[in-house]
Amino acid sequence: MRRWWAGAAVCVAGYGLWVAAGRAQPEAKGPHFTDIAPKSDFRYKTDNNFTGRKYFPQTMCGGVAAFDFDNDGRMDLFFTNGAKLPEMEKTDPRFYNCLLRNRGDGTFEDVTARAGLLGKDLGFSFGVAAGDYDNDGYEDLFICNAGRNTLYHNNGDGTFSDVTERSGITKPKDLLSVAAAWFDYDNDGKLDLIVSNYTLWTPQTDKVCGVNGQEYYCHPKIYPSVAHRLYHNLGNGRFEDVTDSAGFGKELGKGMGIAIADFNGDGYMDVFVANDTVRNFLFINQKNGTFKESGYEWGVAYDENGNAHSSMGADAKDYDNDGFPDLFYNNLKGQIWGLFHNMGGKYMRYVSGMSHISRLSEHSSGWSNGFIDYNNDGWKDLYSSNGDIDDMGQVSRQPDTLFENVDGKEFRDVSTQVGADFAHAGFQRGSAFVDLNNDGFPDLVVTSLFERPRILMNSADNGNHWLLVNTVGRRSNRDGIGAALKLTTGSGRTLYNHVTTSDGFMSSSDKRVHFGLGSEKAIESLEIRWPSGIVQTLKKVKADQILTVTEAAK
Amino acid sequence: MSTAMRSARWNIVAGTGRAVARLGKLKLAPRGTCFSLSKRAQLARDRRAMNTPLWPRLSKSFFVLALVASALFAQQPDELLQHAISLHQAGDLDGAIKAYRDYLAVEPDSLQARSNLGAALARAGRYDEAIAEYNLGLQKSPDNPALLMNLGLAYYKTGRHAEAAARFERAVALSPQFQEQVTLLLAACYNTLGRYKEAVALLAPLEKDKAGDAGFDYLYGTALIGDGQEGGAAVINRILSHGDSAEVHLLRGTLELTAHDSDTARADLEKAVALNPRLPGAHTRLGELLLTLGESERARAAFTQELALDPDEFTSNLNMGVLAKQDQGYAEARRYLERALRTRPNDPGVRYQIANVDLATGDLETARQSLEVLTKESPDFAEAHATLATVYYRLNRSADGDRERAISQKLMDQRDAVPVGSRPR
Repeated sequence: MRRWWAGAAVCVAGYGLWVAAGRAQPEAKGPHFTDIAPKSDFRYKTDNNFTGRKYFPQTMCGGVAAFDFDNDGRMDLFFTNGAKLPEMEKTDPRFYNCLLRNRGDGTFEDVTARAGLLGKDLGFSFGVAAGDYDNDGYEDLFICNAGRNTLYHNNGDGTFSDVTERSGITKPKDLLSVAAAWFDYDNDGKLDLIVSNYTLWTPQTDKVCGVNGQEYYCHPKIYPSVAHRLYHNLGNGRFEDVTDSAGFGKELGKGMGIAIADFNGDGYMDVFVANDTVRNFLFINQKNGTFKESGYEWGVAYDENGNAHSSMGADAKDYDNDGFPDLFYNNLKGQIWGLFHNMGGKYMRYVSGMSHISRLSEHSSGWSNGFIDYNNDGWKDLYSSNGDIDDMGQVSRQPDTLFENVDGKEFRDVSTQVGADFAHAGFQRGSAFVDLNNDGFPDLVVTSLFERPRILMNSADNGNHWLLVNTVGRRSNRDGIGAALKLTTGSGRTLYNHVTTSDGFMSSSDKRVHFGLGSEKAIESLEIRWPSGIVQTLKKVKADQILTVTEAAK
Repeated sequence: MSTAMRSARWNIVAGTGRAVARLGKLKLAPRGTCFSLSKRAQLARDRRAMNTPLWPRLSKSFFVLALVASALFAQQPDELLQHAISLHQAGDLDGAIKAYRDYLAVEPDSLQARSNLGAALARAGRYDEAIAEYNLGLQKSPDNPALLMNLGLAYYKTGRHAEAAARFERAVALSPQFQEQVTLLLAACYNTLGRYKEAVALLAPLEKDKAGDAGFDYLYGTALIGDGQEGGAAVINRILSHGDSAEVHLLRGTLELTAHDSDTARADLEKAVALNPRLPGAHTRLGELLLTLGESERARAAFTQELALDPDEFTSNLNMGVLAKQDQGYAEARRYLERALRTRPNDPGVRYQIANVDLATGDLETARQSLEVLTKESPDFAEAHATLATVYYRLNRSADGDRERAISQKLMDQRDAVPVGSRPR
């Protein structure tokens, strides 16, 4: 196993390698987004093989991961794709998955075949999770499929190997897995894996639903609920399915997005799983290798009316910088997206109304999502990729939404102010947040059914300052996933975030922790609480840099 | 419209004497009265009445019942009372009210004067005062069916349908001959209260005789659709034979809303509102549809319009309460919900929402108490059990929380086991 330790505890990576197209002529006063995908030559389009017959999984296609597979300091992109139905095979190159190498000049090179990631044998793919499960310094990939799930080991030479069989990651027959997240639930320094599963499904068991000769995608309740699965990393590339012993096996849901965070501040990562038409699950880590499903206790199982909606993507971040990660999930048009405020690590308070999320969200069917400080003002905003389940009317194609966080209290819709490329209406699905040009402003990558993905570069033109922190664990997992960061600015303002690649739906984001600093250039201190329990504090940190922090020895 | 109630005779006991009054026919009229001593028979009504809401037609007719009590108490030779009755009959309501009150100051036990005063107050639109007078009269004579009828009508007029229904039921129990007069009113109350099954039970026996009567068909169709019975569509077709009307579009839109056929439902409900913006329930149904389409601002406007017509309309109050709660405007939510509760006392859904407001505002004890009662009374109310579980957990009563959670989960699993059918989300 290769080891790639940073030579020093702290080093600074380069940034600002290119500027976004259109930056010279900004469309708006604040940061806005420009799609640079057309500048690159790649084949990938999200293809769910819709040909008239409506197979249930077709609505969920187009997972995306942002990760640096070749450790060149530039974040690359990976996309999952569908398959021919009912054969459930990637019979044609149009169904292949796709790895795009970031050239650093605003273009991307399709290196999928060279990397061995076409996925010809994977069937219909959904979510993807990036994480260095073997701590060798190279980010690996886990892909969720209808059919067998797949673990790809990054060989460190630009290629990947399918190590699923050797890893011991298996699942019950016909289980449809849609999303996954890497996290170290027992703080043993090795990344474990949680997989959210939707139902049992094969093309042969697919149901046909319709009225008056018009076919619909069936209501989820027509399919059985299933357990989500937890795999414990044993080391040496081996995993053990601990679903039942860890307390996941008895909770049956229709899993969608996964959010990982230490909700109660006990130093152990907890798991939120958004379920479609079934109550949401919040698995609180009992610190002994087991979890307790505590959605009722925490008040996140249902909405404020006791209803289970079509929860889709999820993210858990501290949107008001009070030191406790909050929770967000989106759902379908006519329902209310759920924003929950963490009440001191004890329970969650439903704040969709007072934050204005309820009114802002009612017109949209959301899929992937996440907290993203797009304007670097220090307040995490809310992004959602949108589009109806089905193409049933004029408003089925929908634009994405961006709700700007106003002082950590409420949100306002700025979707129409961030550029025409952002406002593209479609059947958007996966999304990843990533700083593709290392300019300190988060960019967006979004998939949309039947279309090429959009690679939305942030114009980064409001002059605000920032810090990106790349954590490297030593006793902790090498990615540092789970590390909690507290930044104090020169003025005394405190900002919080934590390391995770899991957000939204079917997607995996830049693992580097982003802080917007507003107009402040001075950072008084940066405190990192590692999963190992080690607390590391850096003083007088310079702003506007990518800071790599290697875990201290103790 | 040809809805005519057959005449009935009934007795009332008033004051120290006993009078037998003969009621005329209870008629459904577009603008008219309901209870009348007039011998005039209402044999037929213009088809134009199709577009006139049934509820106002019914409710506007209540006041006559007590007005005519002047004739019933004619053997009281008191000049002051006669003067009051004269003024009342001449339409000088203010003068009559004053005269009745003057008389009652001297003869406070006069049921005749009390009843007539109630009638005059009601006719003047002073329903709360009328209700107070009727209730005073009923303290003296609790089983007086005429007073109960008039009180029921006053409650009906003020949108207090549960109280109205209770008085009508009591009046009929005391004097079964009232049954025929009160059937449509009572069915209308039941529809408003969501007691569709009881409305169907009342109306079904009349279908043979009244089929084709648009007012009846509308009431019956509403009850059938509300109760989820397939006969609703047949009744709609029957009404359609009378031509296009707001009522037809409302009923059809309601059916389509139930069937998740949003586009068609929207067209019908918007047509209903356009044809008759005062048609009770039309704005409400449209608002409900708009909510399912994620158009809460327009839904709010629709509910607000409904409440402008009838401040006590249950569904609009409930939805406005839920919307306000959604916005975390808890005081406003509570106002709407309590108003809804006034229309349908003990409605489990409204009580659940109020308990949620209590929970959201941190009043855990009140929420707990309400939810404990609610789950006891409605043991299959899964959401209430779920919320009660959360309340118990917040109160650190983990064992109770676990129990309620298990109950809730079991109920929801049972619900999920019911096939959803071939429908979209």
